[in-house]
Amino acid sequence: MNQLAHISPIYTALLTVAAPLVAFLYQALVGKRDQSGIISLLGIVCSFIFAALTWLTIWNHPVVSAQLTWFTIGASTFKVGILLNNLSVLMLLLVPTVALPVHIYSRAYMKGDPGVHRYWMYLSLFCFAMLGLVIMDSLLLMYIFWELVGFASYLLIGFWFTRETAVQANKKAFLVNRIGDLGFLIGLAIIFTQFKTLNLVDLFGEAGLIYQSAVTNGQWVSPVNSMDQIWLTIAGLAFFLAAMAKSAQFPLHVWLPDAMEGPTSVSSLIHAATMVAAGVFLLATVFPLFNESTLLFIATIGTITAASAAYFALGQYDIKRILAFSTISQLGFMMVGIGIGTWDAALFHLVTHAFFKCLLFLSAGAIIHEMTHFKVHSQLDFDPQDLRNMGGLRKYMPKTFMLMSIASLALAGFPLTSGYLSKDSIVISAYEWAQSKGDFYLLIPIILVIVSILTAFYIGRLIFKAFFGDFRIMDQVRDKLLDAPLHEASKTMLIPMFLLGLCCLFPVFSLNPFSYHDSWLMDGLLLDEYTFAPSHNAHVIIPLLLLIGSAVSWIIGWKWYVQQKYPLNANSLSLKAAFNQAYINELYQWIFVDGALKLARFCYWFDRYVVDSLVAFIQFIVLSLSRLSVWMDKHIVDGFVNAVASVTYWTGNQVRLVQNGKLQTALYSVFLFVLLGLIYLIFF
Amino acid sequence: MPILSLLIFLPLLATAFILALPTRYKSSYKYIALAFTVVQFVLAGICYAHFDASQPGVQDLGGYQFVEQLPWIRLDLGSIGKLEIDYLVGIDGISMPLLLLSAFVMLMAIGASWNIQKSPKGYFALLMVLNMAVMGIFCALDFFLFYLFYEVMLLPLYFLIGIWGGARREYAAIKFFLYTLFGSVFMLLIIVGLYFSVINPLTGAHTFNMIYMMNPQNYLGDSIFGWDGYQEILGISARLVGFVVLFFAFAIKVPIVPLHTWLPDAHVEAPTPVSIILAGILLKIGGYGIIRICYSIFPDMAALSNWWLGLIGVISIIYGALNALAQKDLKRMIAYSSVSHMGFVLLGIASLTAEGISGAMFQMISHGFLSAALFFLVGVVYDRVHDRNIYSFRGLAQLMPKYTGYVAVAFFASLGLPGFSAFIGEAFVIIGSFNAASVGTGLPRWMAIAGSIGILLSAAYFLWTLQRMFFGQIRLKGGESWANELNDINSREQLILFPTLALALLLGVMPSLIFNNLNASVLNLVSFIQQFI
Repeated sequence: MNQLAHISPIYTALLTVAAPLVAFLYQALVGKRDQSGIISLLGIVCSFIFAALTWLTIWNHPVVSAQLTWFTIGASTFKVGILLNNLSVLMLLLVPTVALPVHIYSRAYMKGDPGVHRYWMYLSLFCFAMLGLVIMDSLLLMYIFWELVGFASYLLIGFWFTRETAVQANKKAFLVNRIGDLGFLIGLAIIFTQFKTLNLVDLFGEAGLIYQSAVTNGQWVSPVNSMDQIWLTIAGLAFFLAAMAKSAQFPLHVWLPDAMEGPTSVSSLIHAATMVAAGVFLLATVFPLFNESTLLFIATIGTITAASAAYFALGQYDIKRILAFSTISQLGFMMVGIGIGTWDAALFHLVTHAFFKCLLFLSAGAIIHEMTHFKVHSQLDFDPQDLRNMGGLRKYMPKTFMLMSIASLALAGFPLTSGYLSKDSIVISAYEWAQSKGDFYLLIPIILVIVSILTAFYIGRLIFKAFFGDFRIMDQVRDKLLDAPLHEASKTMLIPMFLLGLCCLFPVFSLNPFSYHDSWLMDGLLLDEYTFAPSHNAHVIIPLLLLIGSAVSWIIGWKWYVQQKYPLNANSLSLKAAFNQAYINELYQWIFVDGALKLARFCYWFDRYVVDSLVAFIQFIVLSLSRLSVWMDKHIVDGFVNAVASVTYWTGNQVRLVQNGKLQTALYSVFLFVLLGLIYLIFF
Repeated sequence: MPILSLLIFLPLLATAFILALPTRYKSSYKYIALAFTVVQFVLAGICYAHFDASQPGVQDLGGYQFVEQLPWIRLDLGSIGKLEIDYLVGIDGISMPLLLLSAFVMLMAIGASWNIQKSPKGYFALLMVLNMAVMGIFCALDFFLFYLFYEVMLLPLYFLIGIWGGARREYAAIKFFLYTLFGSVFMLLIIVGLYFSVINPLTGAHTFNMIYMMNPQNYLGDSIFGWDGYQEILGISARLVGFVVLFFAFAIKVPIVPLHTWLPDAHVEAPTPVSIILAGILLKIGGYGIIRICYSIFPDMAALSNWWLGLIGVISIIYGALNALAQKDLKRMIAYSSVSHMGFVLLGIASLTAEGISGAMFQMISHGFLSAALFFLVGVVYDRVHDRNIYSFRGLAQLMPKYTGYVAVAFFASLGLPGFSAFIGEAFVIIGSFNAASVGTGLPRWMAIAGSIGILLSAAYFLWTLQRMFFGQIRLKGGESWANELNDINSREQLILFPTLALALLLGVMPSLIFNNLNASVLNLVSFIQQFI
């Protein structure tokens, strides 16, 4: 063990990343022959061990980085290297910690699927890309892994590629993410132009280039270049665009609900815990780049996202979609954390959210798994993900119920859970920030409080509808079934869920269950200073407000969904709008997709009938000209020659008549020529 | 060892062999072609291995490598002076990677021609003549020699499309031929003009030597393309006219919008191997010509007109991509995607920054074998059922899983997924052209941003095609009989595809393999043109 501790953290970090890559390559080579996924599991176990070692050596220790020359283009040299600081090792540890339970869970969940070897391959690829993303030391390398995680996500969303909806969804996910990638690329171009380097240490390290640059006289001046100050804002917005796409922020959130077409275990790992949080990680990394207006924009978008997604979550019936919208909403909270300048709070929420949201998805997966079995068993046709078909599952799956409830409490920010600490840290900071800014800014914390209460309500609705009351489709099969229709999930699925459940509780993050300031995580990331003063009242009032609000919302939920005293009309406009996500998808389809296709068809029409016609027109002119020359040649040039010939011929013919052998004619001609000669002599 | 001459004229020897062998040995033609191409590839590899990356090249003959110079034509023309044409070949960092690419793509094309049934003698003989011509183009440093190879290249292509092509082959062949000829005829005028403007400083005679043409000191003061007090043609600076005419001659090859319409027709009608050569090598001749000839001989005009070049590049990127999105024929879609991807080359060249030009060169190499792989992949399905319509297929992934894997990799590589070569090319073109405004080359930043939209659109048309043809439930236009025909790819096809895509991955991960050899030449070119900004 002593020996292990002396291995350089660089190597342990590299091994962390390499282990899933090896698993991916192995699975790609053997293909169908190995369906067990044991190598992928082993890979992630190794990753976890090495990540833990790395974390132990780096956390609260000096930053470590190492580089190798990658390539030189023109006069600039690009290096490949890794950077290990508190932020990156935290993410490095988080990814395998969440991925490991998901791998174990998947062994039961994906068992028997004919394409499961692809599943393991893609999953390892994803882990490799995600781990690479967090430790890379240059923006170019981050961009590379940033797109690779998107690619892995594309593959996994479309895992069941014979389903039309799945392939539509993965295309949509990749394209929306591409919009963000363009932002990333333009951000890269701006940074490279301004600083001539993309290395994170050079840029954002202590006394990095970012800190040496300033805005003076409307110019953004760095040690090597200067440009108009508008580009500073554009750079910030470009990186935020990247984060908006990856972290599903309004209005680019549309891909995430559709991404639920992938296997549920994938949704839990990629589309809830890790990849979608990459946007928040990116923003935390490039945080010093943001100026005042960019930060305000980020906070505003985060608030809109949190509110709109919570609203959409209220109207959903699909269990996974509710969780997807809840993910979007929570990502909105993290964005607000970034926008108000407390990226440590955002990261804290990212970590706690990863655990409880992963658990929520895995629990939902367990339910869906059982419902699907039941569907096959009972030969009924129903949607196994629809809440309206569930109910009363508490009796059949008590352990799943317990675990899911813990995760839900964490999501709602109930005291003693991890969510309480991290969510409060954002809401309270937002309040303090708004106070230092002015009254108008208070809108943001107020909305966040309302959204938090709505969160408690919609997750309560999910729990009530799924686990309480009676099993709704029981009536149709009561006489067919002898034993219980549903069973508890298998141990292979429950154990990882149990581990995640432990991580949803406060002691993992802070020994004091009521103060996020005591959390080791916040300590480690510790920003030097917040830009605003702390408010002691807020630390008491806001948690209390949230608690009371949540309790009230659960009482209402209990009445509506368990006691069946539902007062609202399910077909009301506002609920329908929530169900249909305010028709944003339809709007995008109409404007962007149909618009682009129409434009494309127009371009092709233009190409064929205008551009190519021009060629045809030139051809026509050339051919016409050549026909004209043929005509000229035949009728004018040749005509003249022929005319001369025929005149000569005619004259000859006429003169020939003279030679008829008669003396009279001969004398007559002699006389004629003498006469003509005389006339000539007289007159000329 | 005159390695470049060997590289150029070996295929001619192959042609002689193929023509000499009686038709009863016709099954051996492809082996002869293959053997010679393999030798050529090895020779190109030797060039790569022995290449000294620190030599600058471009306008400095001493910086070229493997140079061979022989007096070729010497004619005393009395009062006009002496005609001086040299056999002058040599390579620098700009031509060497393209030479290697050509040898590689030729190898792919021979592999794709394995099942040619229609008069193989003529086919392989012409293919070898074409091979000679393209090698010559990338090596020639004498403008007369260059022009000779340039024109010789057209002849075999015309027949290869016109005889071995699809239903509308005659139309496509003549269109291709006339388009290219249109450009090169005017090029000849400029060559003659340059000849009379430039003096060989050693002999005092007029010369076709391109390197001499790049040095302003070698121009006669009062000559048509002279540097002192620019001469005018129709009120426009003669040097500008010269630059523009040469640019259009090569731009037709690239191709640029709106001079691109020969390309979809030629690609669609050409047989698979010829499409591979067209996309893999021919289009690169356009980009190469712009760098080697337009930019190096007219650096002042390059600095003057790069705004327009950049604009044409951006238009090609977006217009080509939109057209690709509207296609129903798979091959036509890939042809239009070539227009879009080659637009990046033009944008990068126009940026006049080291990053942009290197990115453009890298994009040419990457597009060279990626588009070749794409056309080969289209050929796979066309060989089996003689249909290429995207809507005739659905759910191919279940019938041909390996093929789908290769298609997916090729598509993602082409749409610029990091880790593959196209990403490096496109990213640095964007970064370089963005940087241009700070360097002061006059390319505005919005062009870089507009160009990046092409990256989004390329993802759209490739993914949409993937979804329509390969995913979903199986539904084929030809029904059951097609399902029997559509076997997964065989080992010959894999033997061609695997190295190609592996190369895309290798270059994506280790771009230094190309950049190291490029850098000195590109930096030299950039500083050469920078003097005139």
